[in-house]
Amino acid sequence: MTALVEPAALRSRRRPVARAVEGQELALVAVIAALWVALSFGTNTFLTAGNLSNIVFAVAPVALIGIGMTAIIVTGGIDVSVGSAAAVVMVVVAKLIRDSGVPMVEAIAVALVLGVLLGTVNGLLVALGGIHPIIVTFGTLNLFRFVALRLFENKQVTGVPSTLQWFGGGETGLSIGVPNAWWLAMAVAAVMWVYMRHWPTGRHWYAVGGDPAAARLAGIRVHRRLVAAYALTGLLVGLAACVLIGSGGLVQQNAGTGLELQVIAAVVIGGTSILGGRGTVLGTLLGALLVGTVTSAITLLGWRSELTELFIGVFILVAVGVDLLRERRRRSA
Amino acid sequence: MTTPTVAPPPTPRAPAPARAGARGGLGRLLRLILVERVALLTVLLVVVVTWFWILGDNGYLIARYDSDYLAAALDTLVPLSILALAELIVMVSGRGGIDLSVGSIVSLAGMCFGFMVGHWGWPVAVAVPATILIGGLLGAVNGTLVAYLGFPALIATLATFYAFGSLALVSNQNAPISTKPVQDLHALTSAVDLSPQIPSFPLQVITFLVPVVLVVWLVLNRTTYGRKLYAIGTNDVAARFANINVRQTRFRAYVASGLLAGVAAVVIVAQFASARPDAGSVGNGMALPAITIAVLGGVVVAGGIGRVAGVVIAGLLVVWLNAGILLFFEGSDGSQFQLFALGALLVSSALLNAWTLRRGRSAG
Repeated sequence: MTALVEPAALRSRRRPVARAVEGQELALVAVIAALWVALSFGTNTFLTAGNLSNIVFAVAPVALIGIGMTAIIVTGGIDVSVGSAAAVVMVVVAKLIRDSGVPMVEAIAVALVLGVLLGTVNGLLVALGGIHPIIVTFGTLNLFRFVALRLFENKQVTGVPSTLQWFGGGETGLSIGVPNAWWLAMAVAAVMWVYMRHWPTGRHWYAVGGDPAAARLAGIRVHRRLVAAYALTGLLVGLAACVLIGSGGLVQQNAGTGLELQVIAAVVIGGTSILGGRGTVLGTLLGALLVGTVTSAITLLGWRSELTELFIGVFILVAVGVDLLRERRRRSA
Repeated sequence: MTTPTVAPPPTPRAPAPARAGARGGLGRLLRLILVERVALLTVLLVVVVTWFWILGDNGYLIARYDSDYLAAALDTLVPLSILALAELIVMVSGRGGIDLSVGSIVSLAGMCFGFMVGHWGWPVAVAVPATILIGGLLGAVNGTLVAYLGFPALIATLATFYAFGSLALVSNQNAPISTKPVQDLHALTSAVDLSPQIPSFPLQVITFLVPVVLVVWLVLNRTTYGRKLYAIGTNDVAARFANINVRQTRFRAYVASGLLAGVAAVVIVAQFASARPDAGSVGNGMALPAITIAVLGGVVVAGGIGRVAGVVIAGLLVVWLNAGILLFFEGSDGSQFQLFALGALLVSSALLNAWTLRRGRSAG
C-alpha cells in the first residue's frame, strides 16, 4: 500500500543500489567530502578537532528544526514561524532557570511542552482552518515574536546560569570530543529516518504531500497527520532552543530571527521537494552540514563573511536544479 | 474564469444598498462585507480611524491622531504598498507564485542608485530609470528561474533573497553611501503643503505611489497582458490551450515585481537620504509585510485572484492602524503590539477568506 501512494518507494525498489538513499544524499556527501579535503589543504586550521566541533555545534539547532521541517515540507506545507517560536521558548526557559532556579530536566520539559504547544497552534490552523501554511505561519511568526518581546519586557535576558550546559558548546557539552547537540541531532535524525521510511504513519506524510485528497480516500487521517508534523517541529524547536541557550549567559531580543530561512535552506539543499511528497531527514542533516562547512570555510579563508549568503543562495539553486533535471529525465525515461 | 473578483460564483456583486432599512437589505450588506474583501477592509479602515480619532480627541493617546498625523504616516505606506503590489502581480500569476527576494532587490538596487548618484555623479533623471531597470533585471533572474527553468517560486526567490542581499552588503563593504548628492535626494520625499485645508503629506505619494497604483491597475485590468496573467493564475493548462504563452506571461510577472522593487528602492534611498546595504532586510525584511498586506488585501496564494484596490486599502489599514498603536503606548511597547496586530489581522482575514470560499462552494 505504501508503494501505491509513494512513487519514490516504487523507484527505489526497481533500482536496488539506490534503495538506501532516495534523493541526492550521495551527491551531498561527495560535495561535503570534497570541500573538507580541499579546505584541509587550503587552510591549516580547518581540519582541527576544535573547528569541526564548532561547525557541528553551530549547525545542530538548524539540523534539529530541519528534521521537523522536512516532515512539514514532505506534507506539502512550510513553517516560517520557527525562528519566532524558538525565541518564545528561549526567553521562557532562560527566565525560568535564572529567576526560579529550575533544574535541567524540568527546564527541558518546559521547553518541549511549550514548543509542542506553539507547533500545534500552527498545525490546527493549517489543518482545520483551511489556510495556506505559508500564510498561517507568516501570521504566527508575527504573533510569536510579539509574545516573545512581551516576555522579554524590553530587556535582554542576562546572566542565564549554565543549567543547560549539557547542550552547550563548552567543554561540558562534549561526548567523545563531539558536541552533545550534534549527537542529539543525529539521534533524532536516525529515529525519524526509520519512522518516515518504515512506519505506516510516517509513510502517510508522503501520501498527504503527494495528494491530500487521494490520501484521505485511502483512509489516512489527513488532519491528524498534518497537526502531528507541525507539533513535531514545535517539539524540535523546543530542543533547539535548549541548544541555543546552552551554557547560558545572554539571550538577546532578536534571538531566532532569520532562523527559518536557514532551516528551509538546509532542508531544500538536502533534496526535499518543496512541492511535497519527497524528501529525507538524512538529506536535511547533510544540507545543514554543508551550509555550516561553507560558513566556516569563508571565515577561515579570510573572505568577507557577507559572501556566505551568496553561497547559500547558489547552493539552493544548484541542489534544486539538479533535482529538477533528474525529475525531467525520470519522466522522459 | 478570469474575473479578478474575490467573490465566489453564487454571490452577485451587488452595489451596497444606500439605506439598509429592510431586513433583506441589511442581510445583503452583511453578505457584501463578508464576501467582498474591499468592502470589509473599507469598513475596518473607517472603524480603526474613527476609533483612534475619538481616543485621541479625548486624550487617551500620547499625541493627537488627526489628519496631519495620518498624512505624515503615509511615508511608510509608499514603499510598503509598492512592494505589496509587486507581490500581488506575482501571486496572481499562480503556481505558488511568491517573491521573497523583493527586500534584497530593494537593498541591491538601492546601493546601485547610491553609487550612481553619490559616487559617479549621474543626474537623478538618469539614475532613477537606471535603478528601476536594475530592479527589473534582478526580477528577470527570478522570472527565468521560475518560468523557464521550472524552479518553485518559493525556492528560487529564497535563493535570490540570499544572493542579492549578500551582493548588496559586499558592494560597498557593508557601509552605507550618504555623500552630499545622496543626501540632497531627500528633497524628492519632502512634505508638501498644497493649501491650508489639506494637511501636508509626503511628496512621494504623488510622485511615486499614485502613478504606480494607476499603472498596475491599468496593466492588470485594461490590457491583454492583465487578462493573460489572471488566466495563467487560474489555470495553467487551460491558458496554454487558449494559446497563451504561459512561460512568457509568468516571466514578465517576476520582471514587473523587480521593477516595482526598483521603484521602492529609489523611494527608500531618498527617504533616508542614504543608500543602506541592509535597507530591505532589517528586522524581518520587507518581503514579509508586503506579502502580509497582499494577503490581507484578498490576494489568494493559489493564484488568479487579487485586486489592486484591495491591496491599496489593506496597505492604508495596516499603516494607519500601526500609526494609531504607536500613539497608544509609551516607549517601545507600541512596536510590539504592531506585530500582534499584523499577525492577528493576517490570520483572521485568511480564516475569513477560507470560510467564505467554503460557504460559497457548498451553496453553489
